[in-house]
Amino acid sequence: MSRHDMRLLASEVGLTFRRPRNLAMLGVLAAVPVLIGVAIRVVAGDDGGSIIGQVAGNGLVLTFAAFFIMLPLVLPLAVSVVAGDAIAGEAAQGTLRYLLAAPAGRTRLLVLKYVNIVIYCLAACAVVALSALVVGLALFPVGPVTLLSGTTIPAAEGLLRVGVVVLYAAAGMAALGAIALAVSTLTDAPIGAVAASVVLVVVGQVLGAIPQISAIRPYLLTSWWSSFNGALRAPMATDDMGRGLLAFAAYIVVFGSIAWSRFTSKDITA
Amino acid sequence: MSKAARVVRWGVPVAAIAVVAAAVGTGPVIAAVQGDPSLPDRTAQQLLADAAQKWQTGRIPPMSGTIVETASLGLPALPGVGGGGGSSPTSLLSGSHQLKVWYGGPGQARVMLPGEMSETDVIANGGQVWFWDSGDNKATHLKIPAGEKTTPSPLPSFATPQKAAEEALKAAGGDTAISVGNDATVAGRASYEVVLTPKAATSLVRDVRVALDGETLIPLRVQVYAKGAAEPAFEVGFDSVTFSPPAPENFTFTPPPGAKVVEGSTPSLHGDGRPGPRGGKPGPGDGGRVVGSGWESVIVAPISSESSESPESSRGSKGADASQALASVLKSATPVSGPWGSGRLLRSKLVSALVTDDGRLIAGAVTPEVLYRAAGTAG
Repeated sequence: MSRHDMRLLASEVGLTFRRPRNLAMLGVLAAVPVLIGVAIRVVAGDDGGSIIGQVAGNGLVLTFAAFFIMLPLVLPLAVSVVAGDAIAGEAAQGTLRYLLAAPAGRTRLLVLKYVNIVIYCLAACAVVALSALVVGLALFPVGPVTLLSGTTIPAAEGLLRVGVVVLYAAAGMAALGAIALAVSTLTDAPIGAVAASVVLVVVGQVLGAIPQISAIRPYLLTSWWSSFNGALRAPMATDDMGRGLLAFAAYIVVFGSIAWSRFTSKDITA
Repeated sequence: MSKAARVVRWGVPVAAIAVVAAAVGTGPVIAAVQGDPSLPDRTAQQLLADAAQKWQTGRIPPMSGTIVETASLGLPALPGVGGGGGSSPTSLLSGSHQLKVWYGGPGQARVMLPGEMSETDVIANGGQVWFWDSGDNKATHLKIPAGEKTTPSPLPSFATPQKAAEEALKAAGGDTAISVGNDATVAGRASYEVVLTPKAATSLVRDVRVALDGETLIPLRVQVYAKGAAEPAFEVGFDSVTFSPPAPENFTFTPPPGAKVVEGSTPSLHGDGRPGPRGGKPGPGDGGRVVGSGWESVIVAPISSESSESPESSRGSKGADASQALASVLKSATPVSGPWGSGRLLRSKLVSALVTDDGRLIAGAVTPEVLYRAAGTAG
């Protein structure tokens, strides 16, 4: 990556993280774990061993609970907003022409846009984890973490597993980012691209929930997100998570190439 | 940009999709190209004898793997039993499920039933058996007296290929034709396939196919085919398997702090260790008895409020769910009557069930006539 690309990427990332709307999305992502934590603290009932119930006994678990609650819809929403806006937003503002006037080339611009999306995905997942960790530390005792398998691991290893979950979730979101980027190249209306991506997520969740067509679950992007819980088993379900990562990679390749074909062959009028 | 150039550009995603589709489909394609594996010929008798000897001496090599269980019994969808990611053993009755197993040696085994953000584990080590349910945060501890060989599994006994094959082979008496089918590939391993065909015309089972690993003769897959069905009605088999000693951590279990620990009593989740006829249908649990023999055996069980909630009495609301489910299922049943009395009949590809008006449940993998006969004779 040349120095020029780095500068372009830095300016993209700067724009993304300075934009009030995107910051507000990150704020929402940070607020949800706070809400969950406070709710559990206030209503400290005995909820057995469910992941939510365990939070009261161990603040670290709040991180996993937060991902469990936010991965299906809240995180995808935030990612869709940024990724759906990537190309269509520029087109709508009329700035795409100027970007392409710079000697960056369309392919390079698209790659930079996608790298920017991936960075935002990582940031979004990290914000959720950090917020949940801070809230968990503030409101609940912290100690060894009980995994789903009933095995107890030291808090430090629990933190490591939080890291695994963050990376896995970010990979899943990056796959959604590729879809949203492809949609974004198809339209000049950013809100349409964002809405279409969110609709795709919801449709995926609905299809995955119908038992009669459970055979298609392995092919749905959305059904692989929840496999982050493999990090909470002993031994870690690396096979399951590995297959999830492969599915994410497949989605990135397919939709990345669609975005590329469309973006490099489209007439830029705006 | 010219039209031709655009077409070329769109060739890239098409190629990407083709590559992904090929990667997804490679397994079956390779298997099809390679054809059936060829193993040294063995007669059914030899196979069964060798296999029985291997199992009896308990020299099953250490192994671990993933088992996929698929049941399409054609039962009406039971509320609360539906597919998806439930980790309760009763959820095995419909849809497709994944189990992970680790086997370290005699008395050392772990079975894991993963669910979404939950997990059920059975861990046996020496004389100690732990049953762990993360959803309930409950660990049940059992001690097996020394000298007792069998390890009571709280999972339905058809949950592993070993058990299912043992049950099927045990039941194969004079009323079964045994043959060796084409060699099959299961979990990437060349396997013998033993085909058990019931001779009784009243059985709804066309045949039961047991795939035995070519090398170790460990059963890798059991399929139950209903008459007139191309797809197995019930299938349990390894999706992946490795024959190497699993990590010892798999067999140690310490109840996590804060968990409910129950000593001694067998968890109330299991069927009574007997699967329904030929591993196909789950028995209704306690209080049932088996009438008839071989493929024609049927289960006769009294239906009371107590028995209808037996499978899951550990979770308060489940009992109500079960009786509700029963009621809703009965609505779709056909009313029938005869010299034996009257009742309601449920039929599926593999299982017939009769609920008589005098409160008995009679079920089996047989035609309804056998059920009526049982209803008439078995008071």
